[in-house]
Parts: sequence; C-alpha cells; structure tokens
Amino acid sequence: MGYELSKEQMNEILSQLKEDYLIYAPKCFQDGGRFSDTDCIRYGEINKIEEIVFDKKAEYSFKEVLLPISQTLFYFTEDSVKEADAPKQGAIVFLRSCDLHSVKRLDEIYLRNGFSDYYYQRLRERVVFVLMGCQTAFDSCFCVDMGTNQSNEYDMSIDRSENGYQLDCKSNQLEKLLSQYATNNLSVTPAYVTETKTRVNIPSNLSYQIGNSNMWREYDTRCINCGRCNFVCPTCTCFTMQDIFYTDNEKAGERRRVWASCMVDGYTDVAGGASYRQKNGDRMRFKVLHKVLDYKERNGYHMCVGCGRCDDICPEYISFSHCINKLENGMKEVMEHE
Amino acid sequence: MNKNEYIPFLSEIVEVIKHTEIEYTFRMAYDGEVKPGQFFEVSFPKYGEAPISVSGIENGCVDLTIRRVGKVTNEVFEKYVGDKLFLRGPYGNGFDVDDYKGKEIVVVAGGTGVSPVRGVVDYFAKNASSRKDMSFIAGFKSKEDILFEKDFEFWRESMNVVLTLDAGEETKEHKIGLVTKYIPQLKLKEVKEAVAIVVGPPAMMHFSVLALLELGLQEDNIWISQERKMCCGIGKCGHCKIGNQYVCLDGPVFRYTQGKHLVD
Amino acid sequence: MDMNTKSLKKNAFRVTKERGITASRVRIPGGRMEAKYLSLIQEIADTYGNGTVHITVRQGFEILGIPFDKIDEVNKLLQPIIEGMGINQQNGGSGYSAAGTRNITACVGNTVCPYACYDTTAFAKKMEVAIFPNDLHFKVAFTGCSNDCGKVRMHDFGILGMTVPQFEADRCISCQACVKACAKKSVQALSFVNNRPQRDESKCIGCGECVLSCPNMAWTRSKKKYYRLTLLGRTGKKNPRLGEDFIKWADEESIIKIVKNTYDYVKEYIDVNAPGGKEHIGYIVDRTGFEEFKNWALKDVKLPEIAEVTHRIYWSGIIPK
Repeated sequence: MGYELSKEQMNEILSQLKEDYLIYAPKCFQDGGRFSDTDCIRYGEINKIEEIVFDKKAEYSFKEVLLPISQTLFYFTEDSVKEADAPKQGAIVFLRSCDLHSVKRLDEIYLRNGFSDYYYQRLRERVVFVLMGCQTAFDSCFCVDMGTNQSNEYDMSIDRSENGYQLDCKSNQLEKLLSQYATNNLSVTPAYVTETKTRVNIPSNLSYQIGNSNMWREYDTRCINCGRCNFVCPTCTCFTMQDIFYTDNEKAGERRRVWASCMVDGYTDVAGGASYRQKNGDRMRFKVLHKVLDYKERNGYHMCVGCGRCDDICPEYISFSHCINKLENGMKEVMEHE
Repeated sequence: MNKNEYIPFLSEIVEVIKHTEIEYTFRMAYDGEVKPGQFFEVSFPKYGEAPISVSGIENGCVDLTIRRVGKVTNEVFEKYVGDKLFLRGPYGNGFDVDDYKGKEIVVVAGGTGVSPVRGVVDYFAKNASSRKDMSFIAGFKSKEDILFEKDFEFWRESMNVVLTLDAGEETKEHKIGLVTKYIPQLKLKEVKEAVAIVVGPPAMMHFSVLALLELGLQEDNIWISQERKMCCGIGKCGHCKIGNQYVCLDGPVFRYTQGKHLVD
Repeated sequence: MDMNTKSLKKNAFRVTKERGITASRVRIPGGRMEAKYLSLIQEIADTYGNGTVHITVRQGFEILGIPFDKIDEVNKLLQPIIEGMGINQQNGGSGYSAAGTRNITACVGNTVCPYACYDTTAFAKKMEVAIFPNDLHFKVAFTGCSNDCGKVRMHDFGILGMTVPQFEADRCISCQACVKACAKKSVQALSFVNNRPQRDESKCIGCGECVLSCPNMAWTRSKKKYYRLTLLGRTGKKNPRLGEDFIKWADEESIIKIVKNTYDYVKEYIDVNAPGGKEHIGYIVDRTGFEEFKNWALKDVKLPEIAEVTHRIYWSGIIPK
C-alpha cells in the first residue's frame, strides 16, 4: 500500500518505531572523514528522517548491522562458557536496492552453506528493511549489469517527494502504524535506475584458468593490501576469531569474531608459518573470482551486487569494475597459450 | 533457533602420548560419531582456536595429535591427564573407509599429514580382510620427527610399510629419501582399480599424486586432504575457501578429480 | 638622485645593485591566491619592470627592474593585489605599509593535501590580520602536519597541524595497518595489545597516519584541531638553528595571542642599536633568558587542557667557523 507522508509525520513514526527498534541509515558523520575537514557518509543510528543522506552513497555498507564488525560470541573462564546476550532491540535498516540484494548473499552464507549461524540468525530475524529508491545511479554503480537495480524484497520503501516522502509498505506491522498518519492511498513504486555510467561484462567462458593470465601481475605492485574494498563491500562476509584475555584476570576472557579481509596479510596463515597467496595480484584474483565466478558456481547467482563502493574507496584508484572488464582479454590470453 | 555451533564443550584429557619433543597426541574423551580425517577446533588458552585433525578413534575417545608450533599450542603442552580442553566439532567430511573396502590401497603421507590418515591405516590394519593389498608410505624429516612409532610396528604386520626419512642412514626400520622415491617401486596388482590417499605439505602432495598417476592410478581413485586456515569450521569465516569449495565443509578430504581444479 | 632607503624598504621595495633601480616585493600570505592576480603582476613587470619576476622563498613575487620614478605608479597598480590578499594597509594606493614582519608562509594545506590537519592558508591569513603591518622582524610559517613540508622549524614561530586520533574499538578489525604505519612513517606510538592498537599518548605526535591507514574508520580525527608551536628557528650568519617545541596540542587562539604577546616582549627588550631596527627574536631571548620570554608570551593565554608546554628550551644550532 502506498502512502505520502510529510517530514513531521515521518518523524513521528520514527519516534514510535524507536521504542522497539534501533534505526540505521546512511548518515553524515560531520568531520568524520579520513582527511581533515571532510565528512563521512556511513551507517549509523538516526533519530530524524532528515538525517538520512539520500543524495550520496554510503562509503561503507549497512552490513555492520547484521554482521557487527567486532562481535562477542561468548565469555569464558577456565571451565565455563557463557553465551553473549542478543541485543534487546530489533533493527530497521534503510538501504538501496543493491544492498537489499546483498542481504540474500549474506543469508546464503550465514543461514545456509553448511550450518546456520546462530548469532547472525538471531539478529537477522529481527531486522526490517526499508528500501531507499534510486532516482539516478552514482558514477561507479553497475547494478543494472548485475541485475540488482530493482528489488521487491522490502518491508517498506521510501522515496523523497515534493511534499515529503512516498512509501510503499508490505509489512502488516508497519502498515498499522502508517495508516494512523496516511494522507493518501497511492500506488507507489520505489524509484530504480535502468542504466548506469559504469558497465561491466563478465565473460561467459570465465574459468579458473584466468589465474594464469598476466592481468593479475599489475596488481602485485598497485595494490597495497589494505582491505578497504572488502570492508566496504556489502557481500564480503569473512571474519577471524579472537580470544581476549582480561588483563586483571588472565584466566577469563571472551571470544569474539571480527571482520577479516582476503586482501590483508595473515588471512591464509596456517599454524607453522605457511601462507597462501602472498602476491597482492593473487589476492585480487581470489577476490574478483569469488565475486563473479566461484560463488555463482556454488549458489547459482553472482555475489557482486554492483554497488561500486570498492571502486570509490580504493586509495590506489584500483577499479573493481575495470578489472572485471579485463577478464575477457585475460581469458583470450590464457586460451591462446593452451 | 538452531544450535549455537560456536560454543565449545569441555573434554577431558584421558591420555597423553609423547611422540617427539614437539609432537604429542592428546587422547580426549569424546563419544559422538567421528571419522578419520575430520577435525576438531581446539581452544588453546591465551591463543584461540586451531583446527586439529583426528588421528585416532578409540572407544569413547578421539586422538588429537598436536604439534608445538610457536605460541599457538604451547599452552596445551602444559596440560596433563585429567585436565580439560574446550573443543568444537568434529567438522569436515573425513575419510570414508567404505570408499576403500575391497580394494588395493596405497596411502602416502608426510610429516603431520600422517595424523589424518592414521585412523584409516589403523582400520585396515585391524580389518585386513576387508581390503586387498595395502601399502603405506610415510615420510618424516628425521628420526626425531617420527609420529606413531609404535603403530608402525603393528601396521607392518599386515601391510607393506615404507617409513622414510629425508636424510640420515638407512636402517631396518627406515629408508632414506622423499616419499616420491618409493611410489614408483610399488608393485600394484590391479593399478586401474587401486585407490590412494595422499596427505602432506602442498609440494609433497603435488609430486606424490603425479607419481601415482604415472604409475597408472586413475585420478578418480585418488583422495587428498587439504590443510588450510580453518577458523570457524562451519563454512562462515571464509579463510579456508579455495575456488568454490570450503575446505572445512566440502573437505578437508577431496577426490583428486575435484581437488585438482582448486587454485589458491 | 635622492631616495630615502628606509622608506623605500618599509614600502616593500628593495635597494638593488643597480643605482636607481628597485624591485617590488609582492607578498602572498598563506601562499594561495586567485590566479587572476598573476596577470596584474605580469602587467606591472611588463610595463614598469624589466619583464621578469623572481618567485621568492617566502611565497611572494619580486617584480624586478623597476626605476625609482615608477614606484608610485607601481603602488597604484598593486592596490587590487594588496586588497585581494586582505592585507592591512595604512593608506590605500600607497603600497605596503611595512616590511619588517615577513610574509606568512604556508604549505598547501588540507584543502588539497591528505596529510594536512588544517587549512594552513586560512590560519595564515588570520595571523596576517592579527600582526600586520609591523616593522619588527618576525617570521611565522604554517605547515599542515608533522612532515613539515613548510620548513616551519626554520622560523621564529612554526605551526604544525595535529589531530588527536580517536579510536572506536568496535570498528577495529585488528589488521595492524595503523601500528605498521605509525612504526614505519611516524614515531612508533602504537603497540598491539589484546588484538587492538594501544596509543602511547606521550609519544603520539598527532600526525594522523593511523587515521589515514585505517581501512575501517576505527581511527578518526578529533573534532577540534590542534597545533604544535615551535620556537625561534632561524637561518643567518651567527647561529642558525631549528626551532624547538614550545607547545604541543595548542589551539588557534592561543597561538595568535602568543605571537602578539611576543611583539610586546620584543618592543620591550630589542637592542635599540640593532642594525636597521631589526634583531632576530632568538638573540633577544638569549639575552633575557627563556623564562622572561615565556612570561611575556604566555600572558593571558588560555591553553587547552591537553596542551603540553615545554618549560625549559635549549637550542643547539650551528656555530659557523
């Protein structure tokens, strides 16, 4: 059901929702940028609808809501373990179509792929998604080519309109709340883009043989293995376990998991000192193929959702989409040498 | 809500077997189902977890052979019989002895790679009638690095055992040279039907498989076990993924036909 | 030919080797200007000078080869530049009012450079307004970060930008990029404890390398900007030396006040017989003792709580032989 609400009405709804939910949306952290006197757009809790940044892309994705960057799993002593409590409130997440598509990828890994993840599941069950319509694509977006430019899997959608906000609601619970304020019953379709400036072509013959191409060697020196591309990615799901021992009681501590990056040193280290993929170009290849080859082999659809954040964040101006577009020539190169 | 796989359970150390200065087997109380080649995530105080493969299965116990590498596992070496360790698992697919029953079997293992195959070798030592001829080629760096030394005596009784050291002097018990030196010398009766298991460091596995193929074994009849950084053990953390396979879920045991395409 | 060289110099013209020929010294405070002023400088050089301009060490343009009798006309043409730079002036159209205190220089600053911790030109211009025009020989320079690309430690007052790194533990992914960056590029103020970086506040120089290297915004900059104030570096014949740290974690207001206070101090203690009425502040401090200088400099200054003042400074420097 579609609604149009004023800013004031939206804020009244938000304040009601805040009783049961933490509300996360892309917002501006003023002077919170990496460089002096710059802002950072990323996810944070909001109180007012006008805090949501609609006209810029969040540098980091919403995934930290479902996969906390650092998450305590349990507390331990020498002979006992106590599971960490779940957060008391559910979460409402405002996100764009590409990100909403990435939820499916996170679910694939964390709810399926062998085991269901207890900690993910207990957060996931209490998350409500609000789709933010996209009037236009940003320069680095390539969602159309990845087939993620449109989504119907939302609980509610939101678009800015002349008089406030237009919403399409699919959730009964939210519907009840909205109908208290509804000024109109409209037919609302969330805005979505149908073309992007950045285009990608994933060659149909792409195979692991691409690993033999010289194309990766360029990244050996260009890439600085900082991992930013992984941390901003809404579909990267890796983590590392850590045991922390309290300084005042060395026998007690906690086990937590923190985000990990396949680009960063240490990711593949095994006991005894061996490690795999030491060259940055090989790490790049591992990441790129995960996004556009092996994940699909396993799950039937590409992992990459084309949000373009990895392009935007790279301090060395390495473009992921540009790399994808080199795969075709890379395949030609390795097939010639067969 | 599904089970919280991350919460470990306490398991008592039933016995400690010292193989070398740095390699011990901890026999841990465990009475669930488990297969050789599977692994447990063992919590090491002050370090965290590490995947340790099951090196033996006894009534109500599993053997975990642990190598003291750096600070990783030192703390465990201070633990003794009666103490407890936190475990999770078993994880991974492990070896299925049914795959090898009724067949001529070759097992090639190097160093700590002997741990995951020990259960298979032991099974077929005790159940010799369930298979045809069997050879076990095991390589260690030196005499001091030999694991399961006593087991080798027992295994020799029912199969062709080649215990080889990288360097040193040949004796009645040990030969000298890499495992790959002894693969071509195997006398297999029905090479097309024979099955093989290869476990060890990456280079050793690579060349051993090539030698077995050279001998005439079928790719589909060779199994390998991959060592990777298995961190969560349940297909979530991503560290052990190679190609489209998760070593912790889909392995660590792979048929060579499946495993050979995996590029790191 | 009659020319009052004192007035000439005060008006920012130079006595050159060639009799009757001078050069006009155009200052660009903070080193940044709109490009349109370049054509005015070109016009002066082509019309009244010899068609050449020297780009000065202190971020100015020296228009060369100007005959004495063209000074008034040059001053008129300089007026839009002087106004455009926001330079305090006693009489419009008469050129610069004083040339003792030197142009305030600045590195490119945070509007361009990722390392810079503040807008160096903006601060330089604020300082300009606070202290110009003045006949006393002061050199003030601004640089964005501890790299000191502005060579501010060769000035009486060097201002280096600082940020107090803010750590949000829950965003840290234990990659140690900050620890490595601090060790390799800065002062090893970070150690890795319990899988997280630990900052040694006494070692930290506020360079911001941790913020720049952090891939996940666990380190961010402080909302407030801070500065390191270095004192009394100098070049020259007698005893060139680098400026020493006076205040770490100072704020903008205090720095302006300290520089202004120093003018009062110099007026009180300058050698009345100093050649040209100019004496490097350092030599005055050598005479009065640092303690006396400090009392004057810090008068009515309210430093931020985290500021660290060096209470005794010893300069080394070079004694040329």
